[in-house]
Amino acid sequence: MIKFGKGNLRVPQWSRRVFMVAGGCTPFRKYFPEYKLEELVMMGYKMMLEDNDLKLSPKEIKDQIQYCAYGEFADHFQDQLLCEAKIHDYLGLEPLWNNGIKTGGATGGAAVLNGAMAVASGYADTVLVCGWERMDEVDTRTGNFYISTAACKDFETRMGRIYSSYYAPMANRFAEAYNLSEVTRAKVAVKNRGYAMSNPNAQQPGRHTVEEVLESRMSAYPLRFLECCAMTAGSASVLLCNEEMAYKLSDHPVELFMAGGTHTLRVADRRHMEIPLLPNEEPGMYDELLKDSGRWPGFESFLAARFAAYLAYRMAGIHDPLEELDLVELHDAFTISDIQTYGDIGLRPYGQEPDYIESGDAYFEGKCPSNLSGGLLGTMHAVGATGIWQAAEVLWQLQGKYDKFHGAEKWWKRAGKEKPADWKSLQVKDPKQGLWISHAGVGSHVTCGILRKAW
Amino acid sequence: MTKAYEGPLSTKFIGEPSAIYDDAGDFWVVNFPRSITHHHTYGLLTPFFKGLTEGKLLATKCTNPECTENSTWLPPRADCPDCYARTEWVEVPTEGKIYAYTMLDYAGIGIEMETPYWQIDVEIEGVDTIFKGWLKQGKPVTGMPVRAEFRTNNPTHTILDICWVPK
Ligand SMILES: [Zn+2]
Repeated sequence: MIKFGKGNLRVPQWSRRVFMVAGGCTPFRKYFPEYKLEELVMMGYKMMLEDNDLKLSPKEIKDQIQYCAYGEFADHFQDQLLCEAKIHDYLGLEPLWNNGIKTGGATGGAAVLNGAMAVASGYADTVLVCGWERMDEVDTRTGNFYISTAACKDFETRMGRIYSSYYAPMANRFAEAYNLSEVTRAKVAVKNRGYAMSNPNAQQPGRHTVEEVLESRMSAYPLRFLECCAMTAGSASVLLCNEEMAYKLSDHPVELFMAGGTHTLRVADRRHMEIPLLPNEEPGMYDELLKDSGRWPGFESFLAARFAAYLAYRMAGIHDPLEELDLVELHDAFTISDIQTYGDIGLRPYGQEPDYIESGDAYFEGKCPSNLSGGLLGTMHAVGATGIWQAAEVLWQLQGKYDKFHGAEKWWKRAGKEKPADWKSLQVKDPKQGLWISHAGVGSHVTCGILRKAW
Repeated sequence: MTKAYEGPLSTKFIGEPSAIYDDAGDFWVVNFPRSITHHHTYGLLTPFFKGLTEGKLLATKCTNPECTENSTWLPPRADCPDCYARTEWVEVPTEGKIYAYTMLDYAGIGIEMETPYWQIDVEIEGVDTIFKGWLKQGKPVTGMPVRAEFRTNNPTHTILDICWVPK
């Protein structure tokens, strides 16, 4: 059992308030041979500088940056050690300090958290957080092997050599423990891939049916191809600031609260422990559930996600996430990991996760819609960029700029696509605050970020 | 005074011209081929892998009386994460119950089992963790009893030297 020491549970507190004012990204594709990596990064970075209604010119903003947090998942994929130095040089930001951040699938979220720490500590007033991944240099099966080297190489990687096979046992376990049907899983894929239809940058948008999802090719039982995200080439950036700079740059800044959690990379090593309770949960409420399933987090849940939410909600003063959050962007790398997270972050109590989908709460115009961006299933998983891009999507929603960044012809043209005649706006009505989750390993690292309208 | 260095006066190219893809005409994509071998150590966990080749399943246990957990670890670990004491080797039962499973259909490159195959997670009496493995025959069900088989002949010297069969 993991037992917390008193000090372990201290709620993080920024020394200075932290704000997000701008975001940018590239179109996301499986193959992007038209551009070198640094050229792709420049594309998303320039979008951040030029298209976010900032009150200073791109050059003036560049002149304000003091620190950069760079997210890249795997040197394997880039086939380039110290890629951060190449990018930093390409963006003309020397000799400013940068840190390269690596926390697997949560790399993007971790880069934002690192950038926020720089603002909060006073190291910098204006911080570029930028991430990328180029997963198109190797064929798909080699890419799957590369990703599986983020499982334990001694005890797990050799079994499967593909990440879906480390989540799939959780899907079977979850289905039996919490009565999850494959139809609910499929609905997550249908929903997120459907929302990707409105996103000009989406890699795999599609109006699928539940039947199509359940008839698609098996990856690792019960997870099928349409339930798994793809490999992507692309980049994303966001700009973080202290209070003074935030209002100098933007009339619509959002405030950031953020924390992270971790747990063993090897699912095998999950020992039973007591559930850390969210602000709206009561001691004893899970006694019945634990009597049946025997252990927590078992294979059903993610301690890292629960711990990140445990801290982030307290940091942001959120009591009931479902009531107080207007939208969420979750790390739907697999349908099952998306569903598991609903309990971890309190969109439902543990054991009732499927109801978040079945009730309609998770849909556009529902109580707390999730992954209106298209998520990882529909839009992208250029791993080092993912958690940064998710943050940008939440930022734009809060700023009321969903249409500006998804509906304008300019972005469809940039992506080399025709804007669909039946394009639909997914702008949430007057949202106040949103959350995004960045998730790695089989729950090894998870960040929970909360963005709140600050004007 | 530095002594003049006597280097070659001419150099011959000994590489291979790379494959090139010029489908679109505006950008070149070139191949960077390689073959790599890593020399990877099992360090203090070597007895575990050696045990597999002898038909033994070895876990590690923290026996420090000061430790609050005294967990038994499989996969083993040399150092207890709770109290930082050095752990001790213990032989654990070569049978258990299936906790979770998947059938792996689409594997990454280099897979060493024929696909599809059943991957299983096994709960073992007295072990605090849930050990991942593969099922050599039969169809898994949660709670199904299984026993270990060891590849003592012609071992791979990897985790694939243990697999499971229905008990
Ligand atoms: Zn110990």
